[in-house]
Amino acid sequence: MKAPFNFLRVGAEDHRIENLKGLSLFKRLTSRELRELDELLHERSYQKDEVIFDEGDTGLGLYIVVTGRVKIVSSHAALQRAAPECGPGDFFGELAMFEESQRTARVVAAEPTQVLALFRTEFVSLLERDRGIGVKILFELTRTVIGRSRKLLASQPHLPTV
Amino acid sequence: MRSEPQPGVMTWCVIILITCLSLYLFEWVIWLVVPGLLALVGYYCLQPLVQALVRAGLKHRTAGKVVTGLLFLVTMLGVVLLFYVAATRAASWQAVTAHYVQGGLDFLEKTKGALEEKLPLLKKSALMGSTPTNLDTASEQFVDKYLAKLLLQMLHWLPALLLVPYLTYFILQDGNRLKKQVIRSVPNAFFEKTMLLIDRVDRSLQSYLIGLMKLTFLDTACLGLGLWLLGISHPLLLGLMAAVLAWLPYIGSVTGGVLVTIVAATDYPKEPATIYGCVLLFVCVRLLDDFVFLPMTVGRSLRFHPVLSVLMLFLGAAVAGPAGLLLVLPVLGVVAVVVETLRQILTDERLRMRYRQARQLQRTTPEVG
Repeated sequence: MKAPFNFLRVGAEDHRIENLKGLSLFKRLTSRELRELDELLHERSYQKDEVIFDEGDTGLGLYIVVTGRVKIVSSHAALQRAAPECGPGDFFGELAMFEESQRTARVVAAEPTQVLALFRTEFVSLLERDRGIGVKILFELTRTVIGRSRKLLASQPHLPTV
Repeated sequence: MRSEPQPGVMTWCVIILITCLSLYLFEWVIWLVVPGLLALVGYYCLQPLVQALVRAGLKHRTAGKVVTGLLFLVTMLGVVLLFYVAATRAASWQAVTAHYVQGGLDFLEKTKGALEEKLPLLKKSALMGSTPTNLDTASEQFVDKYLAKLLLQMLHWLPALLLVPYLTYFILQDGNRLKKQVIRSVPNAFFEKTMLLIDRVDRSLQSYLIGLMKLTFLDTACLGLGLWLLGISHPLLLGLMAAVLAWLPYIGSVTGGVLVTIVAATDYPKEPATIYGCVLLFVCVRLLDDFVFLPMTVGRSLRFHPVLSVLMLFLGAAVAGPAGLLLVLPVLGVVAVVVETLRQILTDERLRMRYRQARQLQRTTPEVG
C-alpha cells in the first residue's frame, strides 16, 4: 500500500538508504521500511585481525559486512569448512536473532572492515510494531540459515542430505 | 549460554551507595530531574505515535515535529480550559475546599476525642494538643507557616515545568541519534555488552514509567467507580488524587486513603458504614494493585524485595526528602542494572583481553576509514 504522506518527502533517497537496499538481507524492504530499520542499525569499524566476537560469547545480534572481509574460525571443523569467510553484503551471527545462545565461531576482521550490527532485542521490538518488516527480514534470514545448514550437511560424508 | 553470576553483597552495597549519592545530587538539580522524568514519560507515551507516522511515510524528524506540535497544542488548550474553568468556578471551589477542610478538622477532633476516651494517657501527648479545631485557626496557621513558602515553590517550579515539552521534543527528535553516538564511542570489545546495558535500562525505565501511568489510570477508574457507588462526592477527582498520591510507595497510598476517609466523613458524618466502606474499598484496590494490576502493568521491572524497598525508601527520604521518596525506586532500578552490567564487563577477562589487543593493533596499523 502506498504511504499517505509520501508527497511530503523532498529530495532523493538518502545515500545510506540506497546502500541498505543493496544488501541481500534487506532486498525485499521498501524505502520507507529501510528508513525505519535504519534507526536500529549500528555502524562499527574493525581493524585487520581485530576480533568481532568470540566462540562461546553470548550471541546478541547479527552483523552485516559493508566493506572489507571477515574470517570465521570455529573449533567445529565442519562449520569451518562450510563458511570460511564473509565479504561485502554477507552477514554472520544470525543465530543470535533467534535465541540467546553461545556463538559457535570466532569472527575476525581479515582486513579493515566496516559492519552494520542489528540487535535481537531491537529487532524483536521492531517485529512487534511492524510485522511486515520483520517477516521480510526473517524470511531472508531463514533462507540463509537453511542454505548454510544444507551446505554443512553436504560436507558431512556419513550424513544423508535433507 | 555462559551462566552470569548473580550480584553479591559487595555489588549491592555499591548499588545502594551510588543510589544515595545520585539522590543527593538529584536533590540539587531537582528542577531538572522532575521535568526530565516527565519528558521521559512523554517520550515513551508518544514514541508509538511517531513510529506510526514513520510507517505512514513521514521522515523520523518530521514525525517527531508533528507529534510534539500536537502535544504542545493539546497542552495549551488544556491550560486555557483550566484557566477558564478556574475563573468561572473559583468561588464554589473555595467554598467546597473550606467545607472539606472543616469536615476533616471535625473528623480529627472526633477521632482525637474517641482516642482520649479509650486511652486517657494520650491526653498528655503533645500530638493531641497540636491539632487546630476550627477552619479559621487552621487557615491562619496555614497562611503563617506555609502559604508564602508554597507560592514561592510554585513560582520556582513553573519555568522548570515549561521544560517538559521542550525536553520531550528533544528526546523524540534526537534521542536515538544521541544513543547511537554514545554507542559509537564505546570500544568494539565492549560494544555488545553496552548494547545490552542500554537495552536493559531502556526497558526497565519504559516498563516502569508507562506501567505507572497505566496503573494510575486503572486505580483512578476503580476508586472512582467504587466511590461513586458509595455516593461520595467528586469520585473521579478523588480517585485520581489518590492514584497520583500512590506514586509515593506505601506512604502515598495511606495518605490517599486518609484523604478519601476525610471526604466521606464530611459527606456522611453520621453514617460510619460509608466510612468503613471507603476503607474497605481502599484495601480492595490495594490488593487488586498488588496481585492483578502491578503484574499486568509495571511487571517485574524495578521491583525489589520488600525489605530492600522499605530500607531504600527510608534512605531516600533521609537523603533527599520527598523527592527522594519519589525517585528512590526508579533510581535504584537503573543503578542496579548499570552497576551489574558494568561489573560483568569489567570482570570479563576475555573482553578486556580483546580490548587490549585492539589497542595494540591500533598502535601498529593505520586507522580504518
